[in-house]
Amino acid sequence: MQKQDISVQIQNVSHSFGVEGHAKHVRALLDTTMDIHRGELLALIGPSGCGKSTLLNVIGGILSPTTGGASVNGKPVNGPMPHDIAYVFQENALFPWNTIIENIRLGMLFQGVPKADHEGRARAALKAVGLSEFADHYPGQLSGGMRQRAALARALSLDTPVVLMDEPFGALDEQTRMVLGEDLSELLSRTGKTIIFVTHSLGEAVFLADRIAVFTARPGRIKEVIPVDEPHPRKASFMTSDKFNGLRNRLFELLHDEIRKTVNLRSGSTGGF
Amino acid sequence: MRARAPITGFMARHPRLSQLATIALFLLVWEITARFFVDKMFLSPPSRVYSEIDRVLNTKGLMQALTLTLYELSAAFVIAVAIGMAIGLSVGLNAFARRCFMPIILLLYGIPQIVILPLFILGLGIGPPSKIAFGVTHGIFPIILAIVAGVQNLKPVLLTSARSMGANRWHVLRYVVLPHMMPSFFSGLRLGMTGVLLGVLLAELYVSTAGIGYFTGLFTQNFDPTRLLGLISILAAMAIALNEFMRTVERRFSRWRGND
Amino acid sequence: MAGDVRPAPPGDRSEARITRLVQISFIAALGALWWLATNVWGMSPILLPKPQNAFSELLDILGSGEFWPDLLLTLGELAGAFAISMTLGVTIGFLVSQSPTYVRVFEPLLAGVYAVPIILFLPLYVLFFGLGASSKIALGATISFFPIVLNTIAGFTSIDKLYVTAAKSMGASPTILLRHVLIPGALPIILSGLRMGFTVALLSIIGSETIASLAGLGHRIVNLAESLEIGRMFAYIVFVVVIAASLNAVVSRLEARRSLDP
Repeated sequence: MQKQDISVQIQNVSHSFGVEGHAKHVRALLDTTMDIHRGELLALIGPSGCGKSTLLNVIGGILSPTTGGASVNGKPVNGPMPHDIAYVFQENALFPWNTIIENIRLGMLFQGVPKADHEGRARAALKAVGLSEFADHYPGQLSGGMRQRAALARALSLDTPVVLMDEPFGALDEQTRMVLGEDLSELLSRTGKTIIFVTHSLGEAVFLADRIAVFTARPGRIKEVIPVDEPHPRKASFMTSDKFNGLRNRLFELLHDEIRKTVNLRSGSTGGF
Repeated sequence: MRARAPITGFMARHPRLSQLATIALFLLVWEITARFFVDKMFLSPPSRVYSEIDRVLNTKGLMQALTLTLYELSAAFVIAVAIGMAIGLSVGLNAFARRCFMPIILLLYGIPQIVILPLFILGLGIGPPSKIAFGVTHGIFPIILAIVAGVQNLKPVLLTSARSMGANRWHVLRYVVLPHMMPSFFSGLRLGMTGVLLGVLLAELYVSTAGIGYFTGLFTQNFDPTRLLGLISILAAMAIALNEFMRTVERRFSRWRGND
Repeated sequence: MAGDVRPAPPGDRSEARITRLVQISFIAALGALWWLATNVWGMSPILLPKPQNAFSELLDILGSGEFWPDLLLTLGELAGAFAISMTLGVTIGFLVSQSPTYVRVFEPLLAGVYAVPIILFLPLYVLFFGLGASSKIALGATISFFPIVLNTIAGFTSIDKLYVTAAKSMGASPTILLRHVLIPGALPIILSGLRMGFTVALLSIIGSETIASLAGLGHRIVNLAESLEIGRMFAYIVFVVVIAASLNAVVSRLEARRSLDP
């Protein structure tokens, strides 16, 4: 693997919340090292609290790790890197007081895109996610799935080589997730971006990712990285294939023990449900 | 299921009309009570209050008193908004300042201000300054609280998202904090207006030698309920108009909240 | 709502201490300013008494017990006003909440009247009831009626339909439904209405005593202001503020405790 093929590099990143020795001290992430290639779709999956969102926030420069560090396109991450990284958050992070297209334009204003380009790029991004007709709606007038599409359009319009997504479809229902997943696969295979996304859904991980990093229970570290050798764009038929099911079952086995651990841990500490 | 009374069915079909009917019924009861059951030294029927409203307005000096009250209201409102916004922003935007001063502000807000009204009159006289000042101290607290609340309830993910897209401090203030606090800012303005109205009217009523208080005192002592009710109706109409105006402005600026 | 603002939860303990320190120094600075203005800079005692004078007046008032008649009158008026507004407010609120139609017709009317500064009725009540206690009770009851009735309506209509459906599916009779679902469900909002009503009743009673009356704590303060006994007046102001604050604290405590009951 050549150096220039690496888009995001994670070097010995570990992170703890709170002060050491304190009751609230939590070790969220243990010594994690990983390279993510240009144009790759990497899924992070693991039990709740395993540090996968923490890792995403470290890459995005929203969180400074306790040790180690990340670099994006060879530049060390010391804070938000709006020209390299766009973010799609788990919750709806659209500004509710702006229409969809205003939201997209505002992102470009923050990033420093020349005003003249705003309209064209915003329209193009909306078209890419199929929301052209809803440009002048407020986020509150759209369904959850449409809002996440809009958030994705905002991220795409920023034209960054890397997009981070923190459970982008977490709050949506199963059917909507499936359709969005298909669209996303189609869309992302065209753009050639590097995507790192956190998910809880085994199917989503297998369907979208080129590689899946499976985390252990807290304190989290990467237990295994599973490659999904299937070209993009992936069709719905992939979801019913033996390969898909094989990978999904493999993921389930890997995760089952880890999830059991966290559940036991919690019921033990709180005295049951 | 209970059988619906016919009157309920009518109300369900014509809610607007039922409201008007309720008001009409109230006026009718008032009219009948005033005409046939209560001494006219104490209560006037609404028809007479309405037909003799010009007699109220022609009372010597009353128009000036009303105009002066309106002036006091606007002056107090402008001052309360200016100071309230300055304090609200400086306390609200800084977590440390908020922790230090919010308890003090809430403590002051809890004081029944009416007990210091005589002090205002002693210090500033019976003219507009004391009334404006008393209006300001009543209007300022709801404005401060609304602004602090508006700044506070911002979803953290919106700030994170703005910063991740490269927003600087000015961007965050202009495009995130400010639009976010607009609705609570306007509801603060409306509540501030309510406070200002209360403060100014309290002071006006308290000073019995000039302004509105002089006339309410005069009409009461002369057992002239027609003019007293007329004057009160005018003031009430003024208050409702100001309130409705603020509500319209408020709605106008929180359109995006509609379907959230 | 602006009323929902609470001071942010304190950070760690050292910061809580700094916060407390800033608050205490702020209040101490105000006190020092008061002392300096009156004792050193020679501010007129008609505008601001010396703090030590106000304090000795306060001791005198408390020692002599002369405040009792005024205090009892004011509290009596408060009790009367609150009893009326609570009875009428909760009853009418409950009746209106019984049908969505009633709510749609009557709630906006009640809210509309609430927008008028009801203090305007004071001259009218003075005309009807005279300068004595009845006009104060009437005004206090009128003003506190509105938050109580509006919150009672809000309380009963805000109950999640799911609870009602669930209770009915388990065979709850109307009485059981009322006793075990509707009342407990509506209680927190009704109680906060009662607290608001209590506060405004207290304010309007002291206010109307100040504006037009023959006795009571508000009247006492005005009297002292008119005879320019400013030191004693300040002492009474402090006295009334403390009484009002303690009453409000008691009522808030009651509200908080009842609302937390399962």
